[in-house]
Amino acid sequence: MVDQPAAEPRAGAGGQPYFRCSNMQSYYGESYIVQGVGFEIDKGEIVALLGRNGAGKSSTLRTIARAHAPHLEAGEIWLEDQPLHKMAAHQAAQQGIQLVPEDRRIIPGITVEENLILAQVAPPRGWDLERVYALFPRLGERRKQEAITLSGGEQQMLAIGRALARDIKLLLLDEPYEGLAPTIVAEIARTVEKVKAEGITTIIVEQNALAALRIADSAIILDMGEVVFRGRAQEVLDNEDLREQYLAV
Amino acid sequence: MNDLFLTVLAGLQIGAIYAMLALGLTLIFGTLGVVNFAHGALYVIAIYAAVQVAINVDFTVALIVVPLFLFVVGVVFERGVIRFFYDRPHTDQILVTFGLAIVVEEVAKWLFGANNIPFPRPDWGDGVIIFYGPGAVIPPVPVFQEAPQLWLPFIDGFVTFDYWRIILIGVTIVAVSVLFYLLQFTRFGLIVRAGMRDSDMVQFLGINIARRFAMVVGLGAAIAGVAGLFGGPILGVTPDQGMKLLVPSFLVVVIGGMGSLAGAVLAAVIIGLSLAFTADNPDIQAVIIYLIAVVVLLFRPRGLLGRKGVFE
Repeated sequence: MVDQPAAEPRAGAGGQPYFRCSNMQSYYGESYIVQGVGFEIDKGEIVALLGRNGAGKSSTLRTIARAHAPHLEAGEIWLEDQPLHKMAAHQAAQQGIQLVPEDRRIIPGITVEENLILAQVAPPRGWDLERVYALFPRLGERRKQEAITLSGGEQQMLAIGRALARDIKLLLLDEPYEGLAPTIVAEIARTVEKVKAEGITTIIVEQNALAALRIADSAIILDMGEVVFRGRAQEVLDNEDLREQYLAV
Repeated sequence: MNDLFLTVLAGLQIGAIYAMLALGLTLIFGTLGVVNFAHGALYVIAIYAAVQVAINVDFTVALIVVPLFLFVVGVVFERGVIRFFYDRPHTDQILVTFGLAIVVEEVAKWLFGANNIPFPRPDWGDGVIIFYGPGAVIPPVPVFQEAPQLWLPFIDGFVTFDYWRIILIGVTIVAVSVLFYLLQFTRFGLIVRAGMRDSDMVQFLGINIARRFAMVVGLGAAIAGVAGLFGGPILGVTPDQGMKLLVPSFLVVVIGGMGSLAGAVLAAVIIGLSLAFTADNPDIQAVIIYLIAVVVLLFRPRGLLGRKGVFE
């Protein structure tokens, strides 16, 4: 393991790390997917969670979001002083965790606006809808349109807008650039910067590792369900061997 | 024309009970993915609860108490049984709910016997309704003069129809409309519709979908309660009523498309009319539902209004 401690202390109020997970072990049925993953994150940090296909990146995000699958068997997950490992998905979401899944999971059969309204049913509420539309004007123009008919880029905007409609503390972005045109990728990257400016901590999982590293403060590399690197994003960009070994880029 | 009109009314009345049961079935399936073979048992509980309250208290009280009671039964059923079977195969769900249905039927038999319990109609629902056309002369006898009357231009002379059955059709229209309103225009409905399509994502948005799912089962059970209240006086109160209605209601769901509420209503009307129009030929009537199911599924394997990905 290439363990590089971050330069800054990862402490939130009261001396505890803002986000901390340790020894997370989760399973899809009998398959052991996340094998003792643990790391800490500062408040407001953007972390790129990287690794090859099958390294356990998306499963790690889903585990943190307390998804039904993969099922967390052992380990602890803390957001500030809240033990997420003891919560169901909806309870974790109410504590400020927001997963934007890999395939965006725009809910079919309802409109763009209804997708956003749905995000504000449970407390705590975040941005109001007009603010989301101001950030993504195209969503405002299509507010009455069935959400599933949006383009891929617009769906990604809706997925992020839906997250911002909640008062979130930790945003989990799973493959936000997947299948998107370069102009849309740039727009999503600018949005992530705006999210950071709001003080929201972000973990971004992305196959396009270089794109993720360019906006990230730090990076975690997973291999075979375990953390093999934790350090600054720039270190990964500068270390060709590391990228070659674990990211194949 | 008069015969055609009366046959259509009879068909709508038959379809009305199927529609109410199929709506509950398809609602539960669409949201929870659970094939609830105990839905007929909920109807059995409803008819016995309704007849007991109607006889010992008053039908008007039963109107309020029975749907509420069934709602509670539905919620307890979901929390106590169904939720443990969400991730189990459909065969397990069918086995446990079918087993429960048998238990309910046998308990009803043990408590109330196997014979029919007469279900008295309230005074306001007794008698007939008269439909009359231009120039009709209604005989001056009290039973006709006191009956509700409705003018329809296409009626030749006048015809009578059981008033209670008209009430049943009306109640079904109201129940279906309320359910559609609830699902289409309220926040609860938005959550349920979203949960039907992607319950995981709804939970990631902080919504306790399990609580809503319990309410959905309660709602489905409450509709079965309404079906029992108004169907009991027509079909009778016996322990086997649930099983008798379950198979046609389930076929209505399949023909309409698993999980489709509009499909369930459409299929219930089609099935009701088919049974009414074949009433003169019992041999054909006995198989018509199954024939329709075969034809529909041959040409539309997902049912009339079924969606891709449901029960596949």
